[in-house]
Order: sequence, then C-alpha cells, then structure tokens
Amino acid sequence: MENQPMLKVTNLTKKFGNLVAVNNASMEVYPGEIVGLIGPNGAGKTTLFNAITGLYKPENGKVVFKGVNITGFLPHKICKLGMSRTFQVTRAFLHMTVEDTVRVGAYNRRNEKNVLAKVDEIIELCELGDIRTRVCGDLGLAQLRKVELARALATEPEMLLLDEAGAGLNATELSAFMTLLQSLNKDYHITFCVVEHVMQMVMGICQRIVVLDSGELIASGTPSEISHNQRVIEAYLGKRAVNYVN
Amino acid sequence: MNSKRLLNQRNLLMLAALILAALVPLAFRSDQYAMILMTTVLIYAVLATAWNIIGGMAGQLDLAMGAYLGLGAFTAGTLLIRWSITPWIGMFLGGLVSMLFAMLIGFPLFGFKIKELWYALTSSALVTVMQVIFLMWNGVGGPTEVYLPTRISPLYSLRFNTYMPYYYILLVLLVVVIIFNNRIRYSKLGYSLLALGEDEDAVEVLGVNSQASKLKALMIYAFVCGIVGGLYACIYGYLHPSFFSTNMSTEIAILGIVGGLGITYGPLLAAVLLVSFREYLRASLGGGMEGLYLAVYAVILILIALFQPRGLAPLVNSGYRKLQTFFGELRHGKPADVESH
Ligand SMILES: Nc1ncnc2c1ncn2[C@@H]1O[C@H](COP(=O)(O)OP(=O)(O)OP(=O)(O)O)[C@@H](O)[C@H]1O
Ligand SMILES: [Mg+2]
Repeated sequence: MENQPMLKVTNLTKKFGNLVAVNNASMEVYPGEIVGLIGPNGAGKTTLFNAITGLYKPENGKVVFKGVNITGFLPHKICKLGMSRTFQVTRAFLHMTVEDTVRVGAYNRRNEKNVLAKVDEIIELCELGDIRTRVCGDLGLAQLRKVELARALATEPEMLLLDEAGAGLNATELSAFMTLLQSLNKDYHITFCVVEHVMQMVMGICQRIVVLDSGELIASGTPSEISHNQRVIEAYLGKRAVNYVN
Repeated sequence: MNSKRLLNQRNLLMLAALILAALVPLAFRSDQYAMILMTTVLIYAVLATAWNIIGGMAGQLDLAMGAYLGLGAFTAGTLLIRWSITPWIGMFLGGLVSMLFAMLIGFPLFGFKIKELWYALTSSALVTVMQVIFLMWNGVGGPTEVYLPTRISPLYSLRFNTYMPYYYILLVLLVVVIIFNNRIRYSKLGYSLLALGEDEDAVEVLGVNSQASKLKALMIYAFVCGIVGGLYACIYGYLHPSFFSTNMSTEIAILGIVGGLGITYGPLLAAVLLVSFREYLRASLGGGMEGLYLAVYAVILILIALFQPRGLAPLVNSGYRKLQTFFGELRHGKPADVESH
C-alpha cells in the first residue's frame, strides 16, 4: 500500500437542519484500492459521497484529493482533477442516446477531434454496443447502471465513487459487473470507493471496508475483520455478511 | 455512413426549401400584405430558432427575448440617429450590447441555479423592467416615438420602402442561425446543454461547468436577438419602448416549445405554421371579432400541448421517415435505415 492517500477526508460534518447526516467522519482511500463504504439505511453514505464530490458543502471538515484541498470545490472542478461518481437513484439523461450520454463525459478530457474514439472505447469496454443508439429513457435498470458507469468512466477518472451501483442487478449481471470493476481497477488503475448493500459484492471485491452508522464511522478493516466486528454486527445486523464469509 | 447519406438528403431538402423561400417573394412582390406577413414570419423564425439554444437545449425557459431585441433596436437606432452610423454595423453592435447585458444577467442567475418557473418569471420581469427604464430615459426618446432618418441613402440607413430587402436579409440571417444552431447542437456545448436540461448535478460530476455552458447559450441567443432588434427598428422605422414586449417574448418561447425542444428545425416549423395562421386569423376574424383570434390561437396551442407534447417536429420527422421507408422499399425492396433525430 502506498503511503500517500489518494482521497483523505478529515473530520467531515454535514447537517440538514438539526439532523447530523455525517458526523465528524474521517477516512482515507489509497491509490489502487477498492474500498467499500457500508452502513445501514440512512447512515449517511450518500451524503458523504455528495460532500466529497462537491454537490454538498460540508459544515465542517476537509476533503483532500491527490494532495489538493477540494473542500467547497464545484463538482466539475473535482471531475477535472480526476474524480467522478455514479448515483444511487440513477440519473440518466432520459432523452439522450447511450452514445451521446457517454460523449458528455468524454468531453472532460477530449476535444471534438478525438472524443469519438473515447466514446467507442468506453462503449466497447462496458459492452454497450447493442444499445448505443437507444434512448436512455427506454432502458432497464441494469442497463442504466451500466450507462452511468460508462459516462463516468468516459471522463477518464483516477478515482470513481459508486453509490450502490450493484443494486437491482440479478446474479449474472452482478458477477459481470464485479469482473468489470476488478478489471478497471487492475488494468485501468482506477481507484474505487463503493457504497454497497449487496454483501456478495462488498465481500467479493473490496480490499478494505469502512462502516458508517448514524453519520459516524464505527469501523474500518478487511472484509473478514469487519464481518467479525461486534460493533458492526450490532449496528448493522449484517447476518448476510457474516454468513457469506463463514 | 448511412446517416451521413441521410444528412445529405436532409440538407438537399433544406436547400430546396431555401430556394423556394427565396423565390416566393417574387411572386408576391406587389402584394404588400403578403410581404409583411412573410417578413413577420421570418422575424419570428429567426428568434425562435435562436431561442432553441437557451430554451430547447439548455432547458431554461427564457422569456426575456424582448429585453435583448429592444436593446439591439435602441443601440442600432440610436447609433444611426445620433452619429449616422449605418445599421449594417449598428445591428452587430446591438447584438454585442445585448450579449453583454445577457452576461450580466445570466452570471448571477445561473450561479444561483435559478431554474424553471423562477427563471421564467425573472426573465419575463426583465423585459418589463427594461421597458420602464427606456420609458423614463429621455435621452433615447423616452415615451415618444423617435423616427429613424431617411435622408441618407436607403442602403446605408437600411430604410427601404418595400419589405423585400428585409425579407432577404432575414432569410440570410435565418440560414446562418440554423447552421450555427446545428453546429452547436453537435458540439461539446450542445451535448452539455442537452444533458444539463435533464439533470444538472449529474452533468456537473462529469466535468461540465453548468454555469458557463448556460451563460454561453444565453449570450449566443441574446446576440441574435440584438441583431434582429437592429433590423426590427429599421423595418418599423422608429424606436419605442414598446419594443420591450413581454407578449412577443412569450410567443417566441411558445414557438420554441411547440416546435419541439432541442430540435433545430422545430421552432422554424412552428413559426411558419403558427405565425402565418395567427396572422390569417387576425385578418379574417378582425374587425368586430377583434381579439377572438387570440382565443382560437390559444386553443390550438393547448391542443398541441395535449396531443403532441414533444412538439411538432417529431411528427414531421416520423412522417418523413415513413416516406423514406416507403421509397426505400420501392427502390431496394427493404426498409431504409433511419437515424433518430
Ligand atoms: N437533502 C436532504 N435533506 C434532508 N435530509 C437528508 C437529505 N439527504 C439525506 N438526508 C438525511 O440524512 C440521513 C443520511 O442519508 P443518506 O442518504 O446519506 O443515507 P444513506 O446511508 O445513503 O442511506 P441509504 O442506504 O438508504 O442510501 C438520512 O437520515 C436522510 O434522511
Ligand atoms: Mg444512499
């Protein structure tokens, strides 16, 4: 493991009125890692992602990405630096085709001359060739999740935050998705932080897991450490997780 | 490759329409009313096509057209009256003034992510505010009409006594705006704007500066409105704060929406059909039935909104595709491949 973290969140707090959605959370993600961020519903995972990617301004705390303090940066600036994300509730461009959607992302690092090459590359990589001219509004959830990943990949990120990208996929789709993530991690050197409820996926691909509960970080460790952690089991009642590892 | 051939076919169609549009006035040369009608249609067509950039692509329901048109008109007009600067230059300066004004307005609006109803209300109010300012600004005429001089040559002062020259100038402008519109649509700005219109946060995390993109769209649109404003002043032959018209602004947005959001030819189509229809109604129902044409017009708009919510253009598109499939089958014995839009 390299010594410089790619992403370093320090004492981050985000409130909605009286509700403290993320409370003094600190975490690090190192280059080349796939880190899982788990926690029960309403734990603040999505809020943490939003605060990291600039969609929310945190009340307190600091976010440092590749050594740059990006706290309070606008999302497009953060993307330019090399971090993109997907959304828990898919936010597709419903009237646009798959290839046009990917193209929007590809312009992040490409100009008019070489943008199409990137689009083709990503479409092939994500196996979207069959539906590339389809309008996103006509697609099913599994396809939409793939398109969201594809358009984020097209920005040529060094780090991707995936918010429940595996939710709603069936077993075959899920294992294909896991293989894709692992290949992106190995061959494209993309660092991942994934929020996931699907334990099969968390346990299968994450090297390290961070657990959030009621806005606070309660544990961090390898999948087997986490699944035996008493606090996590209490907070989470993560029976499935325990069963899966045992 | 197939889509390229199709594009050429489509361009050919546009060329035919253009030639037709260029020939029509020759047939109606002596019919003053027809010339006024066709010139009016063209003014609306240019404005609605430009509106497509901010309203159709960027999804901002802009109702401030009159503010930009008025500014352009007063800039070009005043330059001619005060300093005898030809409107040929004046209208572009008018476009620039409108563009700068749009930048001042758009920067905070887009910075605060003002959208939908709020943007519509703000932009509409802008027209009224401008009208009040110009009513009180005696230096450019205040509430009285200021006539543009005719003593200089018609070509220099752009003051013709027939509509024909204006028609052709507007036709050229329309072609330029359509080409430009298409360019933008298939560029980084166009793709970004279309996506922005759907989900702003999702586009931002893909590296798109939404504020800057929308500002560019608004400035391009305002520039065109300003140019049209300069011509507008010359066509009417005077300057008056009524040029800052909320009615006309709203009508442009309606044409853009009815034509089909984000589709280049949609607003053009809507302008040709609806504006000539409106004028026809006005002429045939006029007199005692003053105002009734507005009701009929409104009913038609509601019907379109109800039964063709994505605008008129997709309807024509699918008709065009059916025709193509039909002819394709005739020629090759199989349906032709078609592109979406
Ligand atoms: N925009 C908002 N306004 C007010 N409260 C919010 C907002 N977004 C989230 N919350 C609240 O903050 C808390 C954390 O929500 P968040 O969506 O971050 O949880 P999560 O861990 O992603 O949950 P899930 O697993 O259900 O996606 C919840 O109590 C939620 O109701
Ligand atoms: Mg969530």
